[in-house]
Amino acid sequence: MIAFFKNESIAWQRRWPWLAEFMAGERDAWVFVVKSSLAMYAAAWLAMWLELEQPATAMITVALVMHPHSGMVLAKSFYRAIGTLCGSLFGLALMSVFPQQRELFLFCMSLWVALCAGGATLYRNFMSYGFVLAGYTAAIVALPAIGNPLNVFDSAVMRVSEVMLGIVVAGVVSDVVLPSRLRNVLRRRLREHFAHFVDFARDSTGGSMARSEMEQAHLRFVRAAVELEDLRASVIFEDPEARARSSRMRLLNQRHMAASTSFQSAHHLINRLQRSGRQNVADALIALYAPIGAALSPETKWRHQPEVLTTRLEACEIELPPLAERLRASLPDAASWLEFDTGAALLRRFASELRDFTSLEASLRGQHMRGTVERVHFRRGNDYAGAAIAVLRTFLTMSALSAMWLLSGWSFGSGAMLLATIFSGLYAAAAHPVIATVKTWCGYALGILAAFVVTFFMLPGSNGFVMLIVASAPLLLIGPYLMTRATLPGLGVGYTLGFVYILALKNPMVYDPEHFLNDAISQLVGLGLTGVAFIFVPAVTGSGWQRRRQLRQLRHQVVLAATGPLEGLLYRFESINRDLFQQVVSFTQPGSDESRSLLAWALSVHECGRALIELRQDLRHSELPAPVHSEVQAAVAAMAQLYEAPSVARWQRAEQAVEQAINATMCNDSHVSCRPVLVQLHLLRSALRDDESALAAYITPAMEPSHAV
Amino acid sequence: MLSDALLLAATSTAAIPHEVALFDALVPGLLLVFLLCMMLLWAVDAVVGRFGLYRFVWHPSLFRLALFVCMFGAAGLLLLR
Repeated sequence: MIAFFKNESIAWQRRWPWLAEFMAGERDAWVFVVKSSLAMYAAAWLAMWLELEQPATAMITVALVMHPHSGMVLAKSFYRAIGTLCGSLFGLALMSVFPQQRELFLFCMSLWVALCAGGATLYRNFMSYGFVLAGYTAAIVALPAIGNPLNVFDSAVMRVSEVMLGIVVAGVVSDVVLPSRLRNVLRRRLREHFAHFVDFARDSTGGSMARSEMEQAHLRFVRAAVELEDLRASVIFEDPEARARSSRMRLLNQRHMAASTSFQSAHHLINRLQRSGRQNVADALIALYAPIGAALSPETKWRHQPEVLTTRLEACEIELPPLAERLRASLPDAASWLEFDTGAALLRRFASELRDFTSLEASLRGQHMRGTVERVHFRRGNDYAGAAIAVLRTFLTMSALSAMWLLSGWSFGSGAMLLATIFSGLYAAAAHPVIATVKTWCGYALGILAAFVVTFFMLPGSNGFVMLIVASAPLLLIGPYLMTRATLPGLGVGYTLGFVYILALKNPMVYDPEHFLNDAISQLVGLGLTGVAFIFVPAVTGSGWQRRRQLRQLRHQVVLAATGPLEGLLYRFESINRDLFQQVVSFTQPGSDESRSLLAWALSVHECGRALIELRQDLRHSELPAPVHSEVQAAVAAMAQLYEAPSVARWQRAEQAVEQAINATMCNDSHVSCRPVLVQLHLLRSALRDDESALAAYITPAMEPSHAV
Repeated sequence: MLSDALLLAATSTAAIPHEVALFDALVPGLLLVFLLCMMLLWAVDAVVGRFGLYRFVWHPSLFRLALFVCMFGAAGLLLLR
């Protein structure tokens, strides 16, 4: 019988694949719906049992924190708890400082909420959520107590207890009941990215690679780096094993970034050599690359096994220097030796970085971990002007609402203030906040309608908690279900919030249609005003203005590479680069001129910045005489100036400075320690003269003959 | 023997009263026990996660929850006087 059903179901899956897919999607959606409602009702029941003032606050907390993946819920909960504590402390302090000065009170409140909203735009993980919460909890603690300041402490204790209860219930339910593990997503993505990188490095043994192919690969590497960091930041809350591996995962990501940059530099160099007619040097470098490709191609079943790859790469690393000697000897003149040395140094660096990467991946996949690893951080590139605008907008919204409230003596003004606080914070970092606010508004209005039906037609006849669930569940379920629809962002959140907030479950329940309608109006006005504020002071996330600023910031990374303190500079440089690039690229049209120029700049910044960092490191270890040392320093400074504000004059200056540094170093070639410096300088010069890079526009053809040696 | 010692320790130290004055605000002692147990669970997690021992458990998060309830219950009953 069972076998029959199995066959039957497989048959139908084969006949209607879309149906199977649909059913799988629906199953996930309904698991989420059931979990959310279970958590909400459990929180409400516990809040009533513990005799808390507003069980609705606990329910709202659950509604805001719930997410299909349990790691996300725990991460959100963690930051929410911190945000709540900070917010309530501030609310208390504010109330005790200005209990009778409503203007000053509201001014400080607006400022606090605005600063929190600005802080939220600086983070792209749930830390941002913690900031929103800090702002909004201060409001929910202080605003209801405004008529009775002595009450504020009790109010704060109640709100914090309710929020914490909601957090605990949401965390336990999502972690224990049919958990959907973010860890599995992270593991899958890690393996995919590893396999992709290894395949890519193996398949490009041909040496030459089209520019567009390189750009696509770069896009993918960057996305991988940022995505893995985001996932890691949430998974550590879900899984103790992942937490123990957290610093290893960070380091793995950094090594991946370092290796991909070296790989790209090597390929750019080979491409340039081929274009400038140095085919013999390019061929020698491709021959030097062959052992790396061979090390990456064991039998098919071992291809993505990091342990196997590590041993093979270690063997390959020993093989590289003698092969390099042989290939170098076959080249005719000193100029091509220098070019070959540059490429060979890059390839050796790539091989050793790749080996570090695979060995770390192997230790990460192993059951046990030994020893500790270097601690590194994924730095983010932030645009502080965008944050300042978010602060300004939120401050204006809150002040306008406060003024309206004060002047009109509107007794339900606090509801409007609260809603404005929540949503101006939540959408401060969104790309299209007006659309999101409009959708949320619609959802909110629908939620209020549903809550009206439930409150005045269903609940009065029901008795006991079970009947309460029976009466309210059918209309409540719609909210979490809408949340799972990716095509309707905001609608589900709005519906659930509107429904739960205005339903205001209490024990005993209060039925007051007048209060209900007044509350509904004030909340909708508050939400609507948030939307209006987003129209007047538009969001900058993803706007052309911010993209241009971020591109400038990306170029400025070379200045960082040239001047920043060397300690940990490489990782800082690599991670900020990728974070900035990812932020800009997600708002540009793929294939447009803008996207192409962005990619070109990103690649160029990567190559030159990395070369500058290596150069500075080599310079520190070398024993160059003082005049040569200062020539090299001047070249580094000239490169920084070029990227700070690219122009033809600055390009010429940088080119000359690098040229002079090369000549000065060449004269001192007796030292073994100046070889690496020379090689890096040569790489810089070759990157400067790349006529396909972003710098091509600044290259002056008039200069060509003088240095075409 | 062990239980005697524990009981003795619990009665003699009786570390945590029902309400604790934290910056002059009365906080339930159970809350402090809760936070203590959270930290303990975090430490246990760090050790167990490092050696991957949760793989031998059918439902790790249920196990962790149960472990926490045991710790919290025991600590609450023993420490709170």
